[in-house]
Amino acid sequence: MSLHYLLNELYYQRRRTLAAIVGLSIGIALLIVLNALSSAYRQAARAPLAEIGADVTVQRPGDVPKDLAGVVFPCSAVTIRDDQVKKISGLPGVRGIGKAVLLWVFDPNRAWIVLGVEQQNNVGPAVLRSAVTDGRFLEEGKSEALVEVGYARQFNIKVGDSITIAKNTFPVVGLLDASRAAKIAVGNVYIPLTEAQKMAASSAGVQSVSPFNPADINLLFIKADQEQITGLAASLKTIVDKKATIGTPDSFLKLLGSLFALSDKFTMAASLIAIIVAVLVAFKTMAGNIAERAREIGVLKAVGWTNRNVVTQLLAESVIQCFLAGLLGLAIAFVAAFGLSFMKVNIPIPWDMAPTPHFLPGGGDQIFKTLRLPMHIPLLLATFGVLLSVVIGGVTGAFLGRSISKIKPSEVLRHE
Amino acid sequence: MNNGTILTGTGLSKKYGDLAVVKNVSLSINKSEFVCLVGKSGCGKTTLLSLLSGLERPTVGQVMLDGKEITSATEDDLALFRREHVGFIFQSFNLIPTLSAWENVALPLFPVKMTSEAREKRALELLEKMEMGHRTEHLPSALSGGEKQRVAIARALINHPKVLFADEPTGNLDSATGDAIMEILNRLHTQEGVAILMVTHEVELAKTAERLIRMHDGEVLS
Repeated sequence: MSLHYLLNELYYQRRRTLAAIVGLSIGIALLIVLNALSSAYRQAARAPLAEIGADVTVQRPGDVPKDLAGVVFPCSAVTIRDDQVKKISGLPGVRGIGKAVLLWVFDPNRAWIVLGVEQQNNVGPAVLRSAVTDGRFLEEGKSEALVEVGYARQFNIKVGDSITIAKNTFPVVGLLDASRAAKIAVGNVYIPLTEAQKMAASSAGVQSVSPFNPADINLLFIKADQEQITGLAASLKTIVDKKATIGTPDSFLKLLGSLFALSDKFTMAASLIAIIVAVLVAFKTMAGNIAERAREIGVLKAVGWTNRNVVTQLLAESVIQCFLAGLLGLAIAFVAAFGLSFMKVNIPIPWDMAPTPHFLPGGGDQIFKTLRLPMHIPLLLATFGVLLSVVIGGVTGAFLGRSISKIKPSEVLRHE
Repeated sequence: MNNGTILTGTGLSKKYGDLAVVKNVSLSINKSEFVCLVGKSGCGKTTLLSLLSGLERPTVGQVMLDGKEITSATEDDLALFRREHVGFIFQSFNLIPTLSAWENVALPLFPVKMTSEAREKRALELLEKMEMGHRTEHLPSALSGGEKQRVAIARALINHPKVLFADEPTGNLDSATGDAIMEILNRLHTQEGVAILMVTHEVELAKTAERLIRMHDGEVLS
């Protein structure tokens, strides 16, 4: 193989080299972008859960309380017993558990959405400590409250004030802005989990709908191994309830409704089409190029190049062209990914995960978690794209080289 | 084959389907001999040249080139044989358009394991000999017809061939340039002892050869 001959051929036949490179690079770019897009949607679908440090949420739907007075459970989240939680924490793939109690409290002059949270935990609403805008987060062993900043503004509540919820008084130690965080597991008021558990256990409204012990909860957050989430979701239903609402990245992905989000098969099919088109373009361009060079190949053979010499030369040309096409495709994909990263994704939050009662202002509205599409091209995908391009070059070059090398020099060298 | 014979064709026939292009031709060429194969267009000259040089296999008959029977050799063996023992000059030069003059000359040596410096040195020497030392880096598109044919002759000589096969080497050249090329071929024959088998349809040109072989309708007349 002569590198000099190869480079001269690619350089002096710039137009046909460029045609082959551009054709294939578009296919490779398409393949990379499609897969990156699919991966970005998957990542976006994980955002609502990831922002509260979880991979899975568990809720159990129940009956609507007879009277919307005092402390009640939302009908979408009733008791998950402590023994069920213990059983869940032992399931394979579970790496951590976060607990919370979500209550609706209807006091005579005000309605509260109360979230009882753990003070220290990397899983569940305790991660909201980073959303404190004024004052501090809840401390262990203290009976105190945090108020959502918008709610505080509406009712003129400040750090240092006291609030009374269902006859329990809490000093307000901080304000918290959860608007930029996950739209699930948020409330107007955040109190220690134990206080919320006591409040629920002592409430006739709660007990009449769903018996509740002070160690029970009604929202469960699970940190899990990504590969085991599907299996885990099935086990959770067995333990908690067949009708339990299990929030997983896949369930959010389905809500996104995008073709890329809906189906791996779509991405695979589109990628396959992109590859087939790329291969056909590369094959057609290179076949045309090689056919044009039949006379040249005849000369090579006449002056003593063996079939193997000819195939090696054409194979090397093809591989180099396709390698360059892979690099160009990657560059195009990077530019496209950068452009697509400005796209906004609205992830709908299911109504049963929304904490606001539907009968309160804004409660019936569909809420979304909005974020920029997290487009990036993983190293593995980039490498795969370039390698695939090289493989296409290898296969195309070998096939075309073998067929053209069989040409008889005497057939193409006859003078006109 | 006697000691002075470099090339022998015995009972050579070539058919394409039902069409017999070469019919039972036998001939031999001695070492350092300049032989011209003449005849009208389509009489089978080029086909016979292809058979004798190992570019094509005869339907019947055999070819002995430099003591080796080449008609039964594999295609790759034939390619290697051509690389090591024969040189070709074509009417339409058949230079690679993307390679410079010296690279075209060195083309047969590209698959040979040797340093690129040695390859270039040998090519430049031959171009110098063809009075092309000033055009070594030019692409074929920048060369005149005569210059292209000089490059093609240099390429044919790169492997020190024992036989040079020339197919209408002046066919695409004006008469002055054609004469110059013929002078080079004569010089190669007389000074370097290269056997030459040249195909031409121009009888005047053929007169410069030591021996004339006439062909008509696939058969050798004399």
